This record gives sequence, C-alpha cells and structure tokens, in this order.
Amino acid sequence: MSFVDYSVEPPVVEGKPPLSSIDDAIIKPIDAKPTKAWFVAIAVSGTMLLIGAASLAVTFIFGVGMWGVNQPVGWGFDIVNFVFWVGIGHAGTLISAILFLLRQRWRTGIARFAEAMTIFAVMCAGLFPLIHTGRPWLDGYLMPYPNQHGLWINFTSPLVWDVFAVSTYFTVSAIFWYVGLIPDFATLRDRTVSRIKKIVYSILSLGWRHSNRHWQHYEMAYLILAGFATPLVLSVHTIVSFDFAVSIIPGWHTTIFPPYFVAGAVFSGFAMVQNMLIGIRKIYAIEHIITIDHLEKMNKIMITTGMMVGYAYGMEFFIAWYSGNSAETFVFFNRALGPYAWAYWTMVICNVVFPQLFWFKKIRRSIPAMFVIGVLVNVGMWFERFVIVVTSLSRDYLPSSWGFYVPSIYDIGILIGSFGLFFTLLLLFVKSMPVVSISEVKGVVEGAQPSHGGSH
Amino acid sequence: MSRTEETRYWRSLRDLADHPEVAQLKSNEFLAGVTDESDVADLSPVSRRTFLALLSASAAFAAASCTNYRDKGEVVPYNKQPEEITIGKANYYASTCTGCSANCGILIKTREGRPVKVDGNPDHPVNAGKLCVRGQASVLDLYDPQRLRTPQFKGSGGGFAEGSWEEADRTIMSQLAKTAAEGKEIALVTHTVTSPTFRKVLDAFMARYPSSRTYSYELFSDRFRSNAWIRSYGSNGAPVIRWEAARTLLLLEADVLATEGDVLEQIRSITKNRDMNDPRHFSRIWVAEAGLSLTGMNADHRIRLKPGAQFEFVMGLIHEVAQRRKLSAISPETSVVEAIGQYPLAQVVARHRLPAHLVEGLVNGLVSHRGESIVFAGSTLPEEVHTAVILLNEVLGNTGLYDQRVSRVQYSSEATMEDWVLLVQKMREGKIGAIVHVDANPAYHLPQELRYAEAAQRVPAIVTLTQRENESSVISTIVLPINHAFESWGDFKTRTGQFSLQQPVIEPLYATRQKEAILLHWASGSTTQPDASSYHRYLKKRWEEEVYPSIKSPVAFSRFWHAALHDGLLLHSEKPIARGQFIINADWLQPLWRETDQFTVLVRPSQNVGDGRYAENGWLQEIPHPVSKVVWDNYAAVAPQTAKSLGVENNDIIDIRAGERRLQIPVFVQPGTAEDAVVIEHGYGRRTAGPVGTDVGFDVGSLMPVEIRSTPYIFSAAVTKGSGSYELVSTQEHHALDDAFVKDLHLKRKIIREGSVAQYLNTPDFIQKGRHEPESITKILEYDGVKWAMAIDLNKCIGCTACVASCVAENNIPVVGKEQVELGREMQWIRIDRYYSGTPEDPVVSNQPMLCQHCDHAPCENVCPVAATNHSPDGLNQMAYNRCVGTRYCSNNCPYKVRRFNFLDFRNDFADGIYAEEPMSALYNPEVTVRSRGVMEKCTFCIQRIMEARQVAAEEGREIRGSDVVTACQQACPADAIVFGDMNDPQSKVSHYRAHNLGYHVLEEINVRPNVTYMAKLRNRQTENPA
Repeated sequence: MSFVDYSVEPPVVEGKPPLSSIDDAIIKPIDAKPTKAWFVAIAVSGTMLLIGAASLAVTFIFGVGMWGVNQPVGWGFDIVNFVFWVGIGHAGTLISAILFLLRQRWRTGIARFAEAMTIFAVMCAGLFPLIHTGRPWLDGYLMPYPNQHGLWINFTSPLVWDVFAVSTYFTVSAIFWYVGLIPDFATLRDRTVSRIKKIVYSILSLGWRHSNRHWQHYEMAYLILAGFATPLVLSVHTIVSFDFAVSIIPGWHTTIFPPYFVAGAVFSGFAMVQNMLIGIRKIYAIEHIITIDHLEKMNKIMITTGMMVGYAYGMEFFIAWYSGNSAETFVFFNRALGPYAWAYWTMVICNVVFPQLFWFKKIRRSIPAMFVIGVLVNVGMWFERFVIVVTSLSRDYLPSSWGFYVPSIYDIGILIGSFGLFFTLLLLFVKSMPVVSISEVKGVVEGAQPSHGGSH
Repeated sequence: MSRTEETRYWRSLRDLADHPEVAQLKSNEFLAGVTDESDVADLSPVSRRTFLALLSASAAFAAASCTNYRDKGEVVPYNKQPEEITIGKANYYASTCTGCSANCGILIKTREGRPVKVDGNPDHPVNAGKLCVRGQASVLDLYDPQRLRTPQFKGSGGGFAEGSWEEADRTIMSQLAKTAAEGKEIALVTHTVTSPTFRKVLDAFMARYPSSRTYSYELFSDRFRSNAWIRSYGSNGAPVIRWEAARTLLLLEADVLATEGDVLEQIRSITKNRDMNDPRHFSRIWVAEAGLSLTGMNADHRIRLKPGAQFEFVMGLIHEVAQRRKLSAISPETSVVEAIGQYPLAQVVARHRLPAHLVEGLVNGLVSHRGESIVFAGSTLPEEVHTAVILLNEVLGNTGLYDQRVSRVQYSSEATMEDWVLLVQKMREGKIGAIVHVDANPAYHLPQELRYAEAAQRVPAIVTLTQRENESSVISTIVLPINHAFESWGDFKTRTGQFSLQQPVIEPLYATRQKEAILLHWASGSTTQPDASSYHRYLKKRWEEEVYPSIKSPVAFSRFWHAALHDGLLLHSEKPIARGQFIINADWLQPLWRETDQFTVLVRPSQNVGDGRYAENGWLQEIPHPVSKVVWDNYAAVAPQTAKSLGVENNDIIDIRAGERRLQIPVFVQPGTAEDAVVIEHGYGRRTAGPVGTDVGFDVGSLMPVEIRSTPYIFSAAVTKGSGSYELVSTQEHHALDDAFVKDLHLKRKIIREGSVAQYLNTPDFIQKGRHEPESITKILEYDGVKWAMAIDLNKCIGCTACVASCVAENNIPVVGKEQVELGREMQWIRIDRYYSGTPEDPVVSNQPMLCQHCDHAPCENVCPVAATNHSPDGLNQMAYNRCVGTRYCSNNCPYKVRRFNFLDFRNDFADGIYAEEPMSALYNPEVTVRSRGVMEKCTFCIQRIMEARQVAAEEGREIRGSDVVTACQQACPADAIVFGDMNDPQSKVSHYRAHNLGYHVLEEINVRPNVTYMAKLRNRQTENPA
C-alpha cells in the first residue's frame, strides 16, 4: 500500500493544462455548429416536451379531471413531480453555494452545470403548482395583491409559503447563476467572431473588462449571493415538506419531514448532476476538468444522504409504533404491505440498498455502475414522493372513504413533458453557454494562483 | 494639502468664471414656470377622470364584445306579476306523489313558478312530512330533456314521426271504434289503480268500448299477502299494521324499511321504539332473509334463510309456540294440527343449519311478547308463507296490531300471470284489436319468456301513453306524451277515510296531456279537442257529486274543495272494512314449491329505481345502494362461501340458467347472504330508457318465469361461473372485507361507538368513558349568539339515503356517471358510511351518515392558500366558490373526506351533456350557486335556509332561533334521526343531544372539534338483554 500524503491537496484539474486550452475546451462546443447527436437529442426532448404540452392542453380544456386524481387522493403526479423537481434542483445550490462557502475547490468544475440544472429543475417544479389547480386562470389569487375586495391570501397555508419559497429560490438561483456567468460571457464576447453573438454576449456581460476592480466586486457579490443561497438550500425543501407536515393526515403529519426532505433532495439532486455530467464530460472531452474524482466525491455525498434518507424511513416506522397512534401505525404498515407496497419497496431498494454499493471504491469510480445507481436513485426518489403523497391520502382516517389512485395517460404525458422541458432547456444551455465556469476553473488549475516560491 | 484654504468647487467653466447667468440660476431654486399658479384653462380637455372612464369603458367594450362567456341569453321580467308570486319567495303546493302505489302526500316547493324541490306533506297520515328517495328525485323527471314533447306516429319504415293531437285522437278513436265494432278485445294496460276518479274514467272508457279489458299490475305487488288474507279472513285486503305497538318484530324476507309497503310510515313507527331516551322500551327486530336488505342490516338479530326454507321456518315456529302455549288445538280440524305437526322446530333448525340459540331466543321473545309482537312476511314470498304467518300471528294473539281504524282500499284487481299468458296468446291469434299502455311498460316488466313484444307485432294498434320513450313505446304505433305528476290533477285513496289530492304546480312544459284526460276524451267520443282543464273539471265534478255529499261537510263545495286542495288531502271518518272470522285449512298449509338442491334465485325490487320506471333518473342511479353502495348497476349478490365454491370473485360473470331462461350477470360478494342463494334486484337492464337508463345493469326479466308454482320471485336455477367480468362500481369498500389488517378499523378508531341496551341501562355513561377531551394549547374561540350544530341519532338512522336525495335536490348536486364514480369522484355532500364487523357470514352492520362536520378547528381552513374556505361567526365552515382556485389541499387535509371537487365541468360531462340541456336549468334551486369546474364544494348546513330564516327573523324584528332552520337532510329523514339547531341555546334539542350520555364525535382525538354529534347506537340483542 502506497503512502498517501494528505497534507497536499490533490489537483482539481488533471494534468496542468495551459489556461488557453481551458478556454478552447469549454468554448469550442459553443462556437461549433451543433452536431448530429445534438439534433437527435433535442428532437427527442422536444418531442417529450410536446407530449407534455398536448397533455397540458387537454387538461386546460377539460379540467384536472383528465388526471387520475380523485377523492380522497386529491394530489397525484402533479405534486409528486413538483416535489421531485424541487429536490433535483437542490444539488446545484448546495454545490455552488455551500461548497463555495466551505472553500471546496473541486466544486468549480461542476458548479455551473449544477446551477443550470437547479434553475431548469425549479422551472419544471414551478410549473406544477400553477397547473395543478382546478382553475389555473386564477393562479394569481395565490399572490398577495391589493384589491378592492380587501381579500388577502391565507398566510397560515403552507401552499402560500411554497409560493414564496419557490419563487425566492428561483430568483436567487437565477441571479447567482447569472452573476457567475458574467466573466465567462465576457470571455465569449472577446473570442467570438459572429456579429450577432458579439452583440448578445456584450449585453450579457454587462461591460465586464476583467479589471481588478471588477473582480473585487464580483468576488464580493458572489460571496454575498452564496450566503443568500445557502439558507435556501435548507429552507425550500423544508417548506415543501411543510405542505405535508403541517397537515393532519397520518403519514404526512410528521416532524421528521424537513430534514428528511432536504436530505432526500440533495440525494436526488446529486444523482441527477452525476448522471448528466457523465455525459457532458465525455461529449465535451473535458474529462480532465470534470474528473473521476469529482464523480467519486458526488457518489460519497450520495451514500451519505442516502443513508440519512434510509434512517428517516426507519425512524418513521419507529415513531409510528412508538407514538401508539393507531392511525399512524396503520399508514406505515399500509405502505409496506398495502396496495402500494410495490412502490414502497421500489423506493427502499433504490434509495437505501443500491447506494450501499458506493462503499466499494471500485464501484464509486466505475462510470457505468455509478450511472446506473444514479438513475435508480432518481427512480427511488420519485417513488418516495409518490409513496408519501398517494399512499397517505388513499387510506386515511375513515375506512369508508378509502380510495385508489391510478394515473391517467395525461398524468404520464405531463411527467414526460416535464423531463422534456428539463432536457430541452439543458440542451439549449450547453449549446449557448459555457457548461463549466471558465474563470473559476482557471483559478484552480495547478499553478494558477500566485505562489510564494513554493512555500507557504 | 493645507486645509485652511477653502477649496472652491465649480460646475462649469462659466461657473468658474462667475458668469451672471449662472449666478441668477443659482439664486433661483426652481425653473421658470414651475412655481406659476396653475390655470385650468391650460389643462388638457380630457380630465384624469374622463381619461380613466374612457380607458375602462374601452376595456370593458373590448372584453364584452369578444366573448359570450357569461351570456346566459335573454332574460325577460314579468310583464304582469302573478298574484301569488313574490320574486325570491318560494310557494308550496300540496299534492300527491305517484311514484309508487303508496301515494304519499307531498309539498312541492316552487320558485317563480318552477317546481324545484319536493318534500313530504306533514299533514299526511302515511308519510307525515317525509319523502323517500324516489319521491325526492321525482322532480328531476319533470325537467328531463328526454321527455316526449309531441305525439309520435310510427312510420312505415319503423321510425317515429311527430304529429298532432287531433290526428292522434282521430286515428285512435276510429281504431278503437272499429275494434269495438269487430268485437275484438281492447287491452288497457295500467299500473295498480289507486285513484277513484281514474277508476271512473276507466269505467267510462270500458262502457264506451265494451270489448275492452283492463290489465292492472305492479311488478312487485302484495298480491300474495292479500290473497292469503282474503282466504283467512274472508274479507278485505292485507291490514295496516300498528308497527309502533310491536315489541318484537319478526320480518321474513320483508324489506319494510326500503321497498315493502308504506315504507315511510313503517320507518317512522318502527324507529319510534328505538328511542335512546326510552331504552326500556326498545323493540327487538328479528329478520330472517336470504339477501342482506336495508331492514336486515338494521336488525338486532338476523337469521340467514334461503327463501325456500321460509315456509318450514314459520311452520316450525307455529309448532313450537303452540307447544309452549299448550295450545292443543289451534284449529278444530285435525288436518291442520297434523300439517303443523310435520314441522317440529328442532328439525327445521337442524335441516337448515339455523343458529339454534337464536331461534330459541326468537321463540321466547315472540311468546313473552305475545299480543305485542308481529310476524310479517315479504311480498316476494308465496301465499302459503303468508297464510302460515297469519296463523302464527293468530296463535301469538297479535291480531290487536292490525289497525282497526283503517283498511286498505283497492280500485283494480291485479292481473295474474294466467291473464297475461292468455293476453299474449290472444295477441298472437289476432284477437286483440288494440292495446293501450296507460303509463305502464309491460314490454319490460313481463317475463321475457312471454315474448310480449313479439306478439305485439300482430296487434294492429298499440298506443303508449308515456312521458319518455320506453320498451313498450318503441313497439307501439302511436306514442302519446303525458304530463308529469306535477302537471297533473288527480285524487288517490289507498286507505279508508283518507283522500289525497294531486294538483298541478306548473303548466305542462310541452304539448302533453294527462293520461286520464286522454282516456276521458276517447271515452267521450267527442270530435272536438278537449281543453287543458277537462280532467280538472271531471275530477271536481265527481267530488262535488260523489265525495262531497258523503262527507256531509258544513261548508259550501267550493270552500270544501279549495280547503282539500290546499291541504292536499281530505281526512274523514269512514268505517273500515271489518275483518271476518279467521279460518284455516290444511290445504293452504302445503308448500306448492320446494327448493331443489340447485341454487335459489330471489328477485327483489330495487329501492332506488323501483321496478325500473326510475332507471332514467340520474340522481337515483347515482345514489348508492343502501347496503352494497353499488351505483349504476344491479348484480347477483352471493354469499362469500358460495362465491368461493363457484370459484368467482366480485365482478366475475356468472351464468344463471333456469330451464330455457338464462341470465349472465356479475357477482357481488355480499356478506350476510344465505348460502346457495342468488339475490338480484329488478328494475335494471332497461333496453330503451334514454341516454341515462339504457343498458344500466342487467334485466332479470330474462330469468323470470311464466309458469309459476307459487311465486314468480323465487325459483331454482343452475348457477355456473361464466366467462369474463364486468366492472361494478361502488362508493365504498375499495379493499377486501376479511383482510385482518383492515378489519374492524371503524371500531378500533372509534368512528363507530355502540353498545347494547343492557349496557346502557347498567352504565349510562359507558360511551363517555372511552372519550377524552384533547388539551388545546391555543385559546379556543368563544362563539356568542347562534352557533349551528347537528346531531345524528344512529339508533334511528337506518341508512335509507333519503337525506342524500334531498340534499342532491336542494343543493344542485350534479350527476357524474358511473365512470366518474369509479374514479372516486362522486359529488354527493352527504353519504351513508356502512361498516361491517363480525363475520362475513353474519356481519354486524353499522351505518353512519357522514357530512361536513363544520369543525371549530377546521383543518381545511388553515391550509387553503386563498382563504376560500373559512369560518363564519355562527360556526359554519364556509366555501367561497368564487375565490376557490382548486388546489384540493382542503380535501386532502379533511379527516372525514367530505369535500367534493368539480374535477370536470360535471354539469356538462355526463352522457354527452344530457343534463346540461334545457329545460334542466329550471330545476336548479336559485338560492344555491351552481358550481363550475375546478371548484371545491361540500355540505353548507343548508346555509341558504339559514339565511332565509335570518331574513324572516329580521323582518319580524327578532333574533334568529335555532329552531327556525331545518336542513334538507333533516327534513327528509323519515326516522327523524337528524337534529339541527343552535348549540348555544341550552334549551335546544341539539344541545341536549350534545350533552347526552350517548353522544360522541367522530375522530375527536385529533382535536378538530367537529360540530356534528353522533348518538351511539344501542343494539337490543337477546343474549345481552333477555327481556
């Protein structure tokens, strides 16, 4: 066994590339004409998006009755997808804000992409509260605005908190992302030969001249925004979990939900980032910038959060028994043994069992293995939300009003559509903006920082 | 730099050079013109107000010109206001329900001339202000868009063409005259006639056309009971029973609380003895039946008995009672004693594997309560059972319970199956010249084996008088549209001393006539068209000439007539038909039919669709079956063990064969069904019943026998598993019943709390012992003034669903259809939850009406993001429909799941929008908002009635009282199980109930503080309370 010197940080970017080559590596795919593969990809995602749009159109024309929702299961795929997509977004903010504050230099390679994912995921998520209402044309009622009726929103409703939490999250994430993009837009502006691109990038870069003062202000602004974004990582999914925790329905009314939801969100978010980056680094040939070490670190976070989620699953059962509340106990037994047991066990196996494979370094560093596990984690996390939303509602207090929820084709269409929206936005993003922060990566290339003669 | 020298800052070079202009500018703070006085003349001629007005006007014009979204068409005010109508105030008219032959008195509520709601007439002695499901729903039929609007003539191609009444009358009268001249028979097919004046019309018709014959029938009639009665007592139809005097009731296949006889009277008088405030006088109800009926599920003890074993069972009881009472000679004739001697009870019990201890208790109860008990057999049972029951009541000395003051009156004799067979034979032979279906549907009701429709092809003229197309009208040559009951005149008499009057409350909506007027016109032979009031005059004339003189009223006829019309009924003293001497003959005590070892099929009437005439009523199809909770279908109910031995589960098709007769029908595994019995309800499977009723369920007519040994409703059949399955939809039970995991959850969760009478007598507060008042960490809001609350007495509630029908009619609740119910989207605001405990073989049933509990700490309210649901100062949980965006969060968070969501535009969704067609909009209660799609709704405690009472109180200058308001469900409840009022009034009934020892709240441990109190049910089982 070889000796590892832990006092020296291993290089974040492999192989000391010259700084100009980083520019080239990241910007080339933007400058080049889209490849055939890209067109195929956007055709697929565009089709998915259209399927969603058509399903949504049917829903708007006839009503949410086109979905599988019923009495007692008033929420189905709509809210499952909402919570799922909000969760996906969490990795981005965690990587860009919390890891930034913690001075985790390895984050630079993946932060931009993860942030973009956050924004697109929140866009997907934000769609669902708007479309799930029975009368979506009145969604404006959810915002507080002065009106002659003296009507105000109900601040005790977690749905109102949701509106604020998600819109704040989206705004802060978008600003944070954009601020980080400014220096890179300037680089793009400087490099491009296209007149149109020049104008667009000039506007977007807000007159950035890479001056020292610019950098000073930039660093300060970035730090402040990171500070803003950090509590949001915790607060957004906490508030989303309040939708359930504040209710009185057994299986929803649980104090463990906020930490459990946040952990689950980070878990699924990292799985999604890992999945996407595996493709990006290959296609972009930036495996030296987004290294296998990056992926391994993400896998480590996944095993950690996966176990937190697993703990929460166990604790829910324990408390259901320990509380002595028969309705609560019933709900959990019903999850594991009732008509939706298949969904429950899918969730447990995908979220708790498979991530355990990451204990093995070989699997942690094996791209095919981690990709499959990442996909499974997202499947599992989607089912987690399904289990929470649907099984709790389908069998609550009065056995007389128990029901069963079966999604309709429009539910499935809208789920496909949300993935279509997500991938379409991502594909447009990778063709128009640098997927890796050029300026930040340059900063972590070995030797990029001023050195004091090799000694500290 | 030195700080002593003052630095001079300059703005421009001219400033630095001290230009005078700059100096002036500096001294003048404001630019020229700014400080000048404002001059109105200088202002733009368009003022700010004008500008805003123009802006809003143009926006309004732009919006209005582009859409007809809210355009509800032309609205025309009254040109001359009718005398009796005050806009916004309802008028009530007394009339008579013609939904079945009970002919209950009704009060029709009209708003601006439109009937919108029907309730019972409180003065009527039979229904006493209550009305059943079907009566409540009859108002829907008035506005059914499927009603025929003009006479229809069958063309040569088989299709129908519209025509005029003149043409119809001319054609038919000439055909009738021709037929009469030829001496061929004219068959008049009617339902049982309960109207003396209609009887007179029929007689007049028959006098004019002497070759005519009347065939009166009911698919389910009490013919066998009447026949047995006439045989035993020599006179008079079956008696009116004083149920309230019975301490022990034994009901044999008799669904007296749902389909048998004068249901509302029976519910009222039977539940009178289930009064929690008088526990010592609880009656004990015994039921012996094959299928679990509404009555069976309310029994204290229920014995599963195949219909074929009923006779032996009654004979065994007679045998045992006679022995106990040491009645050596029941009858002087030894043959009778011998006939009874064949059935020692112990043998009967052993042969049919009956629970011996229960039967023992039953005999004890009957004997100890002799003179105060009643044995009653259902009308589907054969005559010999009824004869035996009459004998058993004689032996027990129960004849005192036959009401001496009234007796039943009949105006038609029932057509027997032999009559029908003969008729069909004559039809085939061409001996029938014309058939008139007078609001009757024999093509559906008669057994298919009889091939009535086929034989009808040989009849030259078939005239059907009907409101809507049906199986009989499509085989007719002429179809005449008739009035709805609310557009008709009439009188009815079902009992001595009681006349019930029917008066129209609206002009006929279409070119229709009432059936009596049509026959009357044909009987008159007149060539001029009758006017709209011909039957009115005829009725009045008959009353003036026949009824008025017999009453010996002191007032003039017109006052007498108007008083009777106003009351809707006329009560007078009339001598009942005396009961003759009891006789019994051993020949009458021989079973005409014995069960084979095959399956026994029992055909029963349906509570909701009756004999099928209500199959086109969407409300009734959608109100769940009171026992199975199945909607929009009938089914073959079989016992769980039978299903197992047949290898079938719910929804599997079984094949029932009885000779050539055959029916394939899905199975519903009904706990409590007798083994090897198949119980099917009639009234479904209509082949021609418009878009609502056609092909809903399965027609048992294909299985009904023509050759009848004793009763057509019970016969042996071979049952095998068929192929395929069919989706039955119920509003409850989306889970297996015998799953240990979910068993008795309603008891474990204390949703249902109940006990026995004995327990209550020993420990009056036994229910309270299991309760605990949850602590609240927040301040509990105090309500001063009126606070609304409801209490539901589960001792009285039988689960008949009359409240559901009343609520549907009152609150404009839409019909959603079978598919939507299957998805779980039924819209009814009140439902009857039915829970089983005990074993699947002998389930113990608990009913619980469930509606919005108007919780003080309503969990729906705090989660609504837009405050669309909120709390009123008088304790109501309110819905502001306009504000609701439809997040459905409130419904998710409702622990009682009583909220209902408009997932689609349900007004327009069902059956291609059949219920969105005109004139359906006239049906809506104008006081209740019609909800659009995407809006949540739920029980409002009939807030429109509260507001009306408030207005009346304000007009009278007083505070509103709790007793001013009667909710729709409360008004309908035949057992008076629902109490509503002001809980802050210590004198009110509802506050007594809330404080009662038996009162509890459902799910009180979650501290939502519901305002509906349930009174725990007491069961009066002989094991617990031998008295």
